[in-house]
Amino acid sequence: MSTTTSAQSRVTAMGNPVERQKSGRRNRPRRHASVGVWISVAVILIVFLFPILYLFNTALKTQTEFLTDPVGITTDPQWGNFLVAWNQGNFSSYIFNSLLYTLVGSAIGTFISLVIGFPVARGYLRGTRLWTFIFALVLFLPNALITQFQLLLRLNLYDSRLGYILMVGVGVGIGPLLFSGFVKSIPLELDEAAAIDGVGYWRYLFRFVFPLAKPALATIFILQAVWIWNEIVLATVLLSDPAKFPVTVGLYSFKGTYSNQWPLLAAATFIVALPLMIGYVFIQKYLVNGVLGAVKG
Amino acid sequence: MSKPISYPFPSRAPMRLTFIIGMSVLTVFGFVPAIGVLVVSFTNLRGLPYLPVNWVGIQNYLDFFSPAKIGDSMNALRNTVVFAGFSTVLQIALSLGIALLLNKKIPGRNFYRAVVFMPTVLGVTVTALIWSLMFNTSGGPAASVLSWFGTDSAFFGDPNLALALVILVQVWMVVGVSVIIFLAGLQSIPAELYEVAEIDGASAWQRFRYVTMPMMAPSVTANVLLGVVNALQSYQLTYVLTGPSNKSTQVLSLLLYVQGFGAKSGTTLSQSQGYAAAISIIQFVLVGVITLITLWYLRKREARL
Repeated sequence: MSTTTSAQSRVTAMGNPVERQKSGRRNRPRRHASVGVWISVAVILIVFLFPILYLFNTALKTQTEFLTDPVGITTDPQWGNFLVAWNQGNFSSYIFNSLLYTLVGSAIGTFISLVIGFPVARGYLRGTRLWTFIFALVLFLPNALITQFQLLLRLNLYDSRLGYILMVGVGVGIGPLLFSGFVKSIPLELDEAAAIDGVGYWRYLFRFVFPLAKPALATIFILQAVWIWNEIVLATVLLSDPAKFPVTVGLYSFKGTYSNQWPLLAAATFIVALPLMIGYVFIQKYLVNGVLGAVKG
Repeated sequence: MSKPISYPFPSRAPMRLTFIIGMSVLTVFGFVPAIGVLVVSFTNLRGLPYLPVNWVGIQNYLDFFSPAKIGDSMNALRNTVVFAGFSTVLQIALSLGIALLLNKKIPGRNFYRAVVFMPTVLGVTVTALIWSLMFNTSGGPAASVLSWFGTDSAFFGDPNLALALVILVQVWMVVGVSVIIFLAGLQSIPAELYEVAEIDGASAWQRFRYVTMPMMAPSVTANVLLGVVNALQSYQLTYVLTGPSNKSTQVLSLLLYVQGFGAKSGTTLSQSQGYAAAISIIQFVLVGVITLITLWYLRKREARL
């Protein structure tokens, strides 16, 4: 329905002569279209924002208020719910773990993409095609839950923070491909010029390529960070000590304990969601770049 | 083999060193487990360590289709295909509509785009809890709407409805990614094409059919492929929403999880990890076959447009 009007309004917006001649005839359907557009926008906003607002509303209720009137807007906001959820759910420890896993894991993954992506993109190693094929292969690996568990068990890294970090760190996904694609936009002459000036490979990679490639590396880092922050099943399988759980598992077990106390559960969910919503404002650009890079790659 | 182009730096050693470090970590923790799945699928490996491990040939694969297991196997297989099929189609249709809408010059469209993409950042646990709350049976918003019509539902507790609801939540969570890809595709269509079509007297529908649709074909291909591959393998949302052993929503990955690690810990009987690895491989083959068929179909369709 909105599909036909799209091409139409675009042409109208360009205001070419033919369009202007016909404008008398076109006026009516355009006005209809704009009402339709605003209704559609409203529907989208409701579908995507209402659940989050409802969550917030529930988080501010007392248990009794929720049971007697689950959908009504709260009249007496209970800000203390957040404090209770924070303390009972031990979220400070979970959030610390998640931050640790996400930052270190994404740093490892980004480092891997950098050091393997650059020489392959430049053709400084034999077998450029083979390596590029291997980079693509990373995207199509089978679900290896069983062997990831067994490997860490045998390396004595089961239920260790290091083991889990390494496992999520290698979840580089599109990273190496994305980075080797980006390297092609750095002129080859820069390598040569730097080398003539006596700059070594590592200094060149970390002092010259790294700053130039910051947008691409930020995208790679953030794509992986979003994945690690949200990971839950691997953490359930690879960790058994609740003190090491990331916030996803923590929230899930909180749900198991307080399944009937929705206001408290909603407050806990909101505690986890809020940093993401704030952070999202800053990382949005890189996420969009990453999604588009993934398609081109 | 392509020969290396001239290397300007004094020594190759540092390049090789960091490359080998990066590749080794990736190999040990990425490729070894992935290849290991295939190897393990031919053994009777168990979840408890230090039990003897024997080769069992293709027994695990035969077991998957044996009378004792075929019920669960086919159920999981069907759930996986239904989940992937419906969620992809819905995702593509909705995201195309939203992208066309948000491609218009309307005030605040960047904000609407950000809103649509936000669930991707919120992630599975938060998304699952938000929708469990929306569909909670003790008078949540969904239950209230139903009560206006004098009816009610167990929502995720209703075996006939659970999978459909999980699909809806999945679409809500991932639709933003497709919208971004479609928007990029729409913005790369040259405006001149529409002008020419307009001068030739093409109607709005004709401009959509003969300009927008063919020009959008590559974005559709990318979106469908990403969607299908992602949906066939995703299980984290289902895990949080309905639990791993709920038959009405159990996809292959969750069957694998239950077989490999047990719904309840300590039940050695259910922890047959060799069998779970075989499920992994069957799923891998399924993903490969469906991806190739989809790719083949979409390429053919692109050529026709």
